[in-house]
Amino acid sequence: MFEGIAQGFQVAFSWEAILFIFIGVFVGTIIGMIPGLGPISAIAIMIPVTYSMDPTIALVMMAGVYYGSMYGGSTSSILLNAPGVAGTVAASFDGYPMAQQGKAGKALAISAIASFVGGTVSVILLMLFAPVLASVAIIFGPPEYFALMLLGLTAIASLSEGSTIKALISAVLGFMIVTIGIDAQTGTSRFTFGSVNLLDGVDFLVIALGVCAIAEVCFLILNRKQKLSGLHNIGSLKLTKEDFKEMKGPMTRQSFIGFILGVLPGAGATISSFVAYISEKKMAKNPEEFGKGSIKGLTAPETANNAATSGAFVPLLSLGIPGSGTTAVMLGAFLVLGVQPGPLLMTENPTVFWGIIVSMYLGNVFLLILNLPLIPYFVKILKVPRPLLISLVIISSLIGVYAVSFSTFDLYLLVVFGIIGYLMRIFAFPAAPFILAFILGGMMENALRQSLTISGGSWDIFFTSPLTLSLFALTIIAIVVPAWRDRVKRRKGKDTPLGL
Amino acid sequence: MSRKLFVLMIIGLLLLTGCTMPVQTGSINAAGEWEPDRSIEVIAPSAAGGGWDTTARMLARTIDEENLSDQGFGVVNKPGGGGAVGWAYIHKRNDPHNLFISSPPIHFVKQNGQSPYGYDDFTPIANLIADYGAFAVRDDARWDTLGELFEEMKESPENITVVGNSSPGSMDHMQFIMFADAAGVDITKIRYVSDQEGGAMTGVLNGSIDVISTGVLDAAEQARAGKMKVLGITAPERLKGDEFLETLPTGREQGIDAEFIVWRGIFGPPDMTEEQLTYYEDIIKETSESEAFADIRNRYGWDERFMDSEEFKDFLDEQSVEIEALLKELGFITE
Amino acid sequence: MKLTVNKGLSLVLLVIAASYLFMAYNLPEYAFVPVDADLIPKLLGFALVILSICFFFSKDIDTEEQKKKRVIKKKEAGMLLGVMVLILLYITVLEVVGFVIMTAAFIIVCTRFLGYQNWIATISTAVIFSVGAYALFNYGLAIRLPAGILPF
Repeated sequence: MFEGIAQGFQVAFSWEAILFIFIGVFVGTIIGMIPGLGPISAIAIMIPVTYSMDPTIALVMMAGVYYGSMYGGSTSSILLNAPGVAGTVAASFDGYPMAQQGKAGKALAISAIASFVGGTVSVILLMLFAPVLASVAIIFGPPEYFALMLLGLTAIASLSEGSTIKALISAVLGFMIVTIGIDAQTGTSRFTFGSVNLLDGVDFLVIALGVCAIAEVCFLILNRKQKLSGLHNIGSLKLTKEDFKEMKGPMTRQSFIGFILGVLPGAGATISSFVAYISEKKMAKNPEEFGKGSIKGLTAPETANNAATSGAFVPLLSLGIPGSGTTAVMLGAFLVLGVQPGPLLMTENPTVFWGIIVSMYLGNVFLLILNLPLIPYFVKILKVPRPLLISLVIISSLIGVYAVSFSTFDLYLLVVFGIIGYLMRIFAFPAAPFILAFILGGMMENALRQSLTISGGSWDIFFTSPLTLSLFALTIIAIVVPAWRDRVKRRKGKDTPLGL
Repeated sequence: MSRKLFVLMIIGLLLLTGCTMPVQTGSINAAGEWEPDRSIEVIAPSAAGGGWDTTARMLARTIDEENLSDQGFGVVNKPGGGGAVGWAYIHKRNDPHNLFISSPPIHFVKQNGQSPYGYDDFTPIANLIADYGAFAVRDDARWDTLGELFEEMKESPENITVVGNSSPGSMDHMQFIMFADAAGVDITKIRYVSDQEGGAMTGVLNGSIDVISTGVLDAAEQARAGKMKVLGITAPERLKGDEFLETLPTGREQGIDAEFIVWRGIFGPPDMTEEQLTYYEDIIKETSESEAFADIRNRYGWDERFMDSEEFKDFLDEQSVEIEALLKELGFITE
Repeated sequence: MKLTVNKGLSLVLLVIAASYLFMAYNLPEYAFVPVDADLIPKLLGFALVILSICFFFSKDIDTEEQKKKRVIKKKEAGMLLGVMVLILLYITVLEVVGFVIMTAAFIIVCTRFLGYQNWIATISTAVIFSVGAYALFNYGLAIRLPAGILPF
């Protein structure tokens, strides 16, 4: 193995590799910044470029494209509240408020540093444990996934902005939206009103850009004459010692958690970023700051989603199993280059295996030194006069959706969800549970029904594996403990506004 | 001023919705050959990155690089409804400058009632390549051949679960059904689990599911590493060219009279003239025979299987009838 | 009796739940799986019914701040509607007229409509942005945006 690692270093530190890692992360960041285009599109777009390249160099570059685009995605999430991929939604919860307070440069710097730490720690983990973790990646079967999704859904309560019942209603509505389309387990088309355009369901992008970006635009239009506060030092990247102190905790914890969740096929960046956000909020001394521009609230998801990106390479490289849409396209890139990832890759092709892993150290460093100096330029977008900025945000959202679906139908849907998002905002229904339920709901329903098909309809299947049981136990703790804490708080007279 | 602006724009809108991009028909030259008016759009009725998209892009690339046509070939994605959105678009335009790539799902989507148009609503131009399915189990599973698996399924079908990447009534499911049916298993009792998020292989490796129905290359890689065994592949005869792939047994040689070819071919709009058809058929034949495309086939592990329009159509008719009968039995098609 | 905002909302949600449930009960059956496609939708429908009933009887917590958010001046509401009409127009004719022209037109008209007076800045941004985005997608990323009436 050490010989392999040494070979990896040799490959990754060759001039050619360094150049292409740089190109990879650069192109990835740029593509990722375009709302709508995330890692999947970035990798798919870059595949043809690699045809005539040396396979190892090409794959090292593709890995750079992957985490570069993951990083780039959070820029539009933070600056414009326009998350282009599910993994960066959580970054907007606190990143966007920070940008609104005139701390856009700081927010982007935090995002860059957190991504760097998450990425680097997880590469170390990847290097040390990739061969061992391969067996962890497959212990999750449908019942375990169901339990994991259930645990994820408990986050709804923590994402509520005061009223639990409104959060629950938002979540149920989000879950309802995801039931639209062809049902995966029976092929029945549900709630499509006979429209071919709805057979594949509503695209995540339409939801995210509609409910976040377009709804936000409505408020920008109403407040277009208001000046942003603190615009003069908006590009300042300065982080104080206190800031770093706040970031330290979440960065250490979430690097590990993000990596582990990234290893599980199907969980990936999205779930890890939400889990990171919620767990930090639960642990924080001042959870009421979350959602209002908390440093911890931005650090956590940014660390976790980048850590998860390296985690996703575990099942891909050591099992040949793509755990997500992105790694599936990545697998395609491997195959085109004549490299078959899987259990044999490490022994038969150690240069590729270790080359990719070692190159990620470099890639993460490049991301940091490439992006920190550019932040002052990125934040200039917020100095654009409001009316012009509004037009540009609208157009970018429209292009983002169109470039993925090529259908004007989806653009109309985008407007519809923009209106829904606006209405939710003015009636104080939180948007986060809506999006979370939309993301997790579909996977949860599938896992539930897959399990029941396997067991022939018997619910016992959920109570036989110790892993499922422990996840259920965590779920119960996640629900009971905060509720109990609230009660205690209220008895002490510090009444927190609760919906019921 | 804003009100005036709106009135003007609404009038503009009304004027504009009346017209769309004009449909052109091309022309016939002195030699009696059809000539296109503009560049050809090859439509992949899926998002970027999938099988249809890859085939389309490789086809267009080869044609352009080898100068097989004096017009450019460009790929356009029209994803949605498992292909239905793209098919509806081509059917409506009916423009000989639009082609599209398809594969067996065009049967399934149509027959499951998810698209008003099927293969027989378009003009099959030529088939390009073929791929095959495989059935695999975990390495320590109690079955070594398809015969043993199906024997047990005949007795107690409820003990065995099958997983695939596609939804029920589509490819991974139906290729297994086809083989099980030929072996005499009661196909209405087969427990099929669909996992479209990449968990299918995991499910079999960790033992929560028994059999995976998937593509040959996916299964072969796990088998090569000794984690799985391939019980059978859906090709009519053994694969050639790779030492390991050659060892995988077909269904036929195990006494199961079934085969399933995952073809990928090119279709044109509903009404095409003889000349237009010949024009495209020739280009695709040349592509298929070119060295550049042979190289691409090798990269992706595709099999060469060129069929001209007529042969392709007969093949599709046959496959369609077979699939329809099984879908009826499973209750996907109700009268 | 006059309905409070929350009570009115819960009635709307109840109607949504009811129509969703109605559709869920009319889903076609599929015989060969232990749990059919209608299980989750039915559960969701009932969950929404229960939640909206709870919401109806819950303590009204419509704060002053929220009320303020809903009060929009007539002129401002006109602005919102105007921009929406512009977006709908853009979507409707995008594929006919083409990306470059429509995008530039949208940016110019929308920005002007929202009250920005600097014509030079607006027009130059509009042209650079639309041509740049078109070039980036079509030539850089090989994603075809509608060319429309322009020849390239």
